[in-house]
Amino acid sequence: MSAESPDVTKPSPRALLDLYRGEMSVMLAWNLQYRGAVFLWVLGAVMQPLVLIVVWQAVADGRDTGMTAGEYAAYFMVSMIVSHMTFIWHMWEFEWRIRSGYFSPLLLRPVHPIHADVCQSLAYKLVGLAGIIPAAILMAVIFRADFGNASWQSVMAFLPALLLAMALRFIVEWCLALAAFWMTKVASLNQLFDAFFLFLGGQFAPISVMPDWIQTLSFVLPFRWSIYFPIQVALGNITGADLWIGFGMQIAWIALAVAVLQLMWKRAVANYSAVGA
Amino acid sequence: MHAFTVIRTYLRLGLLNFVQYRADFFLGVVNAAIQFAIQLLAISIVFNQTDSLKGWSRADLIVLVGVHAIVSGILGTVFSPSIGAFLESIRLGTFDFLLTKPVDAQLLASVQSVAPQSLTSLLAGIVIIVYGLQTGSGFPGFGSVVIFVGLLIAGLMMVYSFMMVLASLAFWFVKLDNIMNIFNTMFGNAGTWPITIFPGWLRVTLTFIIPIAFAVTIPAQALIGSLTLANALLTAALAVLFVAASRWFWLFAVKHYTGASA
Amino acid sequence: MSSASIISVKNLGKTYTVPEREAGVKAAVVSLFHRTMREIHAVRDVSFEIAPGEIVGFLGPNGAGKTTTLKMLSGLLHPTSGEASVLGFTPWERDRAYLAQMTLIMGQRNQLQWDIPVIDSYQLFKAIFRISDDDYKRRLDELIEWLDLQELINKPARNLSLGERMKCEIAGSLLHQPKVLFLDEPTIGLDVSMQRKIREFVAEYNARTGAAVMLTSHYMADIEALCQRVIVIHHGTLLYDGDLPGLVSRFSPHKTIAVEFSEPVTTISDKYGELVSTTESRWEIRVPKARTAVVASALLADLPIDDLTISEPPIEEVIEHVFATGDGA
Repeated sequence: MSAESPDVTKPSPRALLDLYRGEMSVMLAWNLQYRGAVFLWVLGAVMQPLVLIVVWQAVADGRDTGMTAGEYAAYFMVSMIVSHMTFIWHMWEFEWRIRSGYFSPLLLRPVHPIHADVCQSLAYKLVGLAGIIPAAILMAVIFRADFGNASWQSVMAFLPALLLAMALRFIVEWCLALAAFWMTKVASLNQLFDAFFLFLGGQFAPISVMPDWIQTLSFVLPFRWSIYFPIQVALGNITGADLWIGFGMQIAWIALAVAVLQLMWKRAVANYSAVGA
Repeated sequence: MHAFTVIRTYLRLGLLNFVQYRADFFLGVVNAAIQFAIQLLAISIVFNQTDSLKGWSRADLIVLVGVHAIVSGILGTVFSPSIGAFLESIRLGTFDFLLTKPVDAQLLASVQSVAPQSLTSLLAGIVIIVYGLQTGSGFPGFGSVVIFVGLLIAGLMMVYSFMMVLASLAFWFVKLDNIMNIFNTMFGNAGTWPITIFPGWLRVTLTFIIPIAFAVTIPAQALIGSLTLANALLTAALAVLFVAASRWFWLFAVKHYTGASA
Repeated sequence: MSSASIISVKNLGKTYTVPEREAGVKAAVVSLFHRTMREIHAVRDVSFEIAPGEIVGFLGPNGAGKTTTLKMLSGLLHPTSGEASVLGFTPWERDRAYLAQMTLIMGQRNQLQWDIPVIDSYQLFKAIFRISDDDYKRRLDELIEWLDLQELINKPARNLSLGERMKCEIAGSLLHQPKVLFLDEPTIGLDVSMQRKIREFVAEYNARTGAAVMLTSHYMADIEALCQRVIVIHHGTLLYDGDLPGLVSRFSPHKTIAVEFSEPVTTISDKYGELVSTTESRWEIRVPKARTAVVASALLADLPIDDLTISEPPIEEVIEHVFATGDGA
């Protein structure tokens, strides 16, 4: 490549870094500007784990479910943080993006639109932490969370597990979002997908208390590795060989999802330009 | 009465235009089915571990899910789409048109959009209740059903008032598309569980600020026979209070919007 | 005049307080803790009277205060100072009897329900404005005929073109036969023939019903065709109130002198004024208004003149000049 005409279709790492820096500062400013809206979404993210702590503490009250009331509190508190950090909304937005023609200018840019979405969701997650962290602390105190097995090692292991989970869920949901290029109404599909996260990902209950068929099924699907795995790593309930199996599953699913994403994106763009929106 | 004519016209047109929403209708059926599958699976997972949730049996919880479906069906048919349209109109500036009409603007804002597909949720709710009652304590007498309907209406009025208060905030914060998110997540998450399982402080918050209990738990109690007279009377009194408070807040908000309070 | 007027505005003023902030993340963070507020005088001390049956053009650049004034007169905004009376009502009290007699049409916003046929939106207006069955039928038929709506009213609004939708919007806004019309950019974004159609319709409605019309538009063609009278507002202050020719003669600093020669003139001289165009047989010269007579007689004395005309510059040019200088001086 000559210096005068850099190949913009394959941006250099340096150019990509600049792009991310630019996008991040814009997106952070945007999220701070609309902090009221961010606060409302965060409030929504607090509700589900809050209610579930109550439900499961009521279940554990005087009965042996394999977990104590304090352990449930700890589980759903970490679940809230992991759910927030891995959450993206793009599958709900693509239908609108395509219908309104929002995509057309993005496709004309010499960079893949996924980069802007990565920055958008990262900025939201960072700004949202200002609400999530105090909520998590309050939750832990009020419901007397019991972090039994957690240690500094488990917290250290949690960081890569969380980062991989964020990458995994982002790519998988971005793939799903592409379905909007072929379907005009995607709400049902999205709702179904959310239900998978709820039950197979461990948002509704620790997978260990779920029926056996869910436990088995969840092992081979990506949902568990995006939510349940990082939670249990943080709580120190997954160590040794299981930890490495989990990382392996995360990486394998990311690799598979990236491959699917590339394939789908190419077809989606071809389909989009053929239909002409 | 003029207001009644206006409401009737909106509802009639919403239903008449059913064909316009045919795709949405089927979508609504599928969504409702997924929703119920989620809720019933959740109940089944919980009752795998226990046979009573603070005094509520599996059948009682199924009745509760049915009541929740009825309430969401009614909200989803008129109030949610209308309030959504209202928030959108504030953002786009078309709310000005409502203010220049010789009819109460709150009334227009509350009924301006109808989504008949949500009626499926209402119908499914009735079926679920019947199923729940059948597997549980059996069917209540006629009196209980009348009380149930009365409490349901009172509960709906409270929920509507609460939604209107949230929506009125849009007059201050234009970019408030997701304000209903608060309500939806509270109602969707906390509403499908009996309010009695929540610890005292949380129950007070959820009950008095967000009147989910009065819209779902208490009417459900009327059906399964665990209602107290005090709760029934409290519900009726609070409904009146909520409606009055939200009306006052709406008028205050419109004053602010038009710059009358500045 | 005052007793006969349908709209009467006295010393109307509106001031907003808005937060101010610079761009960037740092400023966004700072603004969380400290907000700088600034006062904006959207409308200042504006007074005018409008008689029944008048069509008045409301001119001003973007942000001049036109829309704010229209919003105050249609009852959407409370003024910070001053008074107004429309049809004997104070608009911002939003008396239902007042609202039932006026209409506000905004070209950039639509009030027809997006997904349902236009005729169904009209049914809603009928219920809202308590229009009797007979009146509704008669007026609807009239409007359909005047605006050529037959093919349109059974389609959902989303399936209409911008121009078609605007026609339907206007018809819907007039079903209750208002006595006062506030039109904010009714022709914006429409093609030329659709603009003309809407313009003709407004004139027709005005002629038939005697309603008073207040109109803002960026298209001078709208104003020239419809308005006997214009009100010019700039930076919230009223600059001019009178007829269009008067506006030109008052604010234009120049006149154009065109001369036709009886024989070819080849030596060009710019001592008379700014030469706009020159050929061997014809010149156009722009001269300061005060010097018009002097230059004209000099031309007649110096050159073989066949014909000489003195004209005002085009209205757009004058308006542009007024807004550019701000005071029209």
